[in-house]
Amino acid sequence: MRYDKPKVVSIKKIIEENSRVKSFLFDLEIQAKPGQFVMVWIPGYDEKPFGVILKDGAGLMITVAAVGRSTKALHQMKAGNLIGIRGAYGSHFHLPSEAKSIALVAGGYGMVPLAYLAQEARKKNINVELFLGARTQKELLFASWMKEIGVKLHLSTDDGSVGHHGFVTEPFAEYVKNKQTDQVYVVGPEIMEYKVAQICYKKQVPFEVSVERYMKCGLGICGQCCVDNTGWRMCVEGPIINGEDLKKIIEFGKYHRTASGKVEYFPWVKKTKN
Amino acid sequence: MVDLSVDLAGITLKNPLILASGIMGVSASSLKYVEENGAGAVTLKSIGPKDREGHHNPTVFAWGEGVANSVGLSNPGVEVALAMIKESMDRLSVPLIVSIFADKAENFVRVADKIMPLKPLVIEVNLSCPNTEDEFGKMFSLDLGAAERVVSMVRTVCDRSTKIFAKLTPEATDFTTIGKAVENAGADGITAINTVLSSIIDPYMGCPILNNKIGGISGRAIKPVGIEAVYNLYKTVKVPIIGTGGITTGEDAIEYIMAGATALGVGSAIYYRGIDVFQKIAKEMKDFMEKMGYKTITEMRGMAHRS
Repeated sequence: MRYDKPKVVSIKKIIEENSRVKSFLFDLEIQAKPGQFVMVWIPGYDEKPFGVILKDGAGLMITVAAVGRSTKALHQMKAGNLIGIRGAYGSHFHLPSEAKSIALVAGGYGMVPLAYLAQEARKKNINVELFLGARTQKELLFASWMKEIGVKLHLSTDDGSVGHHGFVTEPFAEYVKNKQTDQVYVVGPEIMEYKVAQICYKKQVPFEVSVERYMKCGLGICGQCCVDNTGWRMCVEGPIINGEDLKKIIEFGKYHRTASGKVEYFPWVKKTKN
Repeated sequence: MVDLSVDLAGITLKNPLILASGIMGVSASSLKYVEENGAGAVTLKSIGPKDREGHHNPTVFAWGEGVANSVGLSNPGVEVALAMIKESMDRLSVPLIVSIFADKAENFVRVADKIMPLKPLVIEVNLSCPNTEDEFGKMFSLDLGAAERVVSMVRTVCDRSTKIFAKLTPEATDFTTIGKAVENAGADGITAINTVLSSIIDPYMGCPILNNKIGGISGRAIKPVGIEAVYNLYKTVKVPIIGTGGITTGEDAIEYIMAGATALGVGSAIYYRGIDVFQKIAKEMKDFMEKMGYKTITEMRGMAHRS
């Protein structure tokens, strides 16, 4: 089942993942594959895309950090309160049929779609190596859940409170130097995704990445999330893009478009266009 | 052999299917993607005098019989958009229609004037976006005098080689009179219709779904409204009409042609049938024409007016 008009549902349960992040669970019959997203309507505030998890034994789950006005409003909500959900939308991750071992590289909330993928991969007995990075130990999302389902954890923190002291890309780069992996999946801040992509190209490892762009319709008509130069819509042809197709998305790691449609370069890129 | 090409105010289109404004057209790449999927021409999302973020989400959703939107004319502003218009012209092989909007007649002229050095083939003057805020007051195309004034003023800064189309709403009580007025003011064509003002309330939430409370509906639900508008307009004006509103299939397209449209705007159908809807509709038009023994679009145009 896919919803294109917001389906109003009550929050069944709220889980506090850490001081900044909560998970919200719903009873809603919905079809969603790992990597897809739902548009969540927080009445009076906004509607935003969130990566979706269909957690075994728990159902539809979204995991949200309180960062802006609307996500803070969502964090104030209680079980029983109503929100609207439509979707699920977009492309999804693919597990190669013969895959024996995969590597996931997650930065921050990029862990959400990857946790769902890890759950599905473990059910097929695929070995999952997870490179999970966050600012500090308490913000490492879903680490105990992943451990429970037999995922191998490689942790990194910016403050060194646990695991590798530094970027998640570093232990990942070490790993692909020596170990065989069938496919890599990466979700996180775009600069991190870009670095992982370069490592994968160099090592000739196939990978899939989630390319996030500002979204309005989710239906493939408003054009807001179209990327250069292909014009692909990140709500239909994306957000999950494979490494070969990613080469055609020239703006990846460089710039994106704001709500007005204006090109905005990422802070780490020297302006070269326009 | 069936021929889908049409002459739209002196511009040849390989087929009459035009990407409608406000759909996809936010960048040269998005327009190119639509061209690759079979559109005969493409329209840029309306460009205004300055950068506008538009409304907060929810701005678009599909409600079963159509699509509701209140995107709110988000655009980067004409100064920034110039490079994008230029890039679009360089990359596209099909004609580009540049849609413009503003809050007052003088600013329509300012926007058109800035674009003119690029020599656009067509400027579509958007007089009928329902997603306006108080600063804009009433839609221009609800007011005969205002619609006439904008078109005649834009005409003064446009070369004759640039065709001006006025996009109108059928919500005006004197819709065909306004059509005649913009024709007399120098419009080379009319686009009808825009989305229709609407609101949809979620009964569980007890409030409108669109953050802006009201918006415009498009898609199948408004097709008969569009057909009526084009049918009556065809009787009143001599300039060509781009029939827009709910065209989803080849038969929908033929209906508009028979009502009197020269070309056809396609938008929400991308939601219903995918980005390649242009190819699909073109094929269905061809199949229909072959089956019924029509060879050209021209011979069907305005056919519904035979007594």
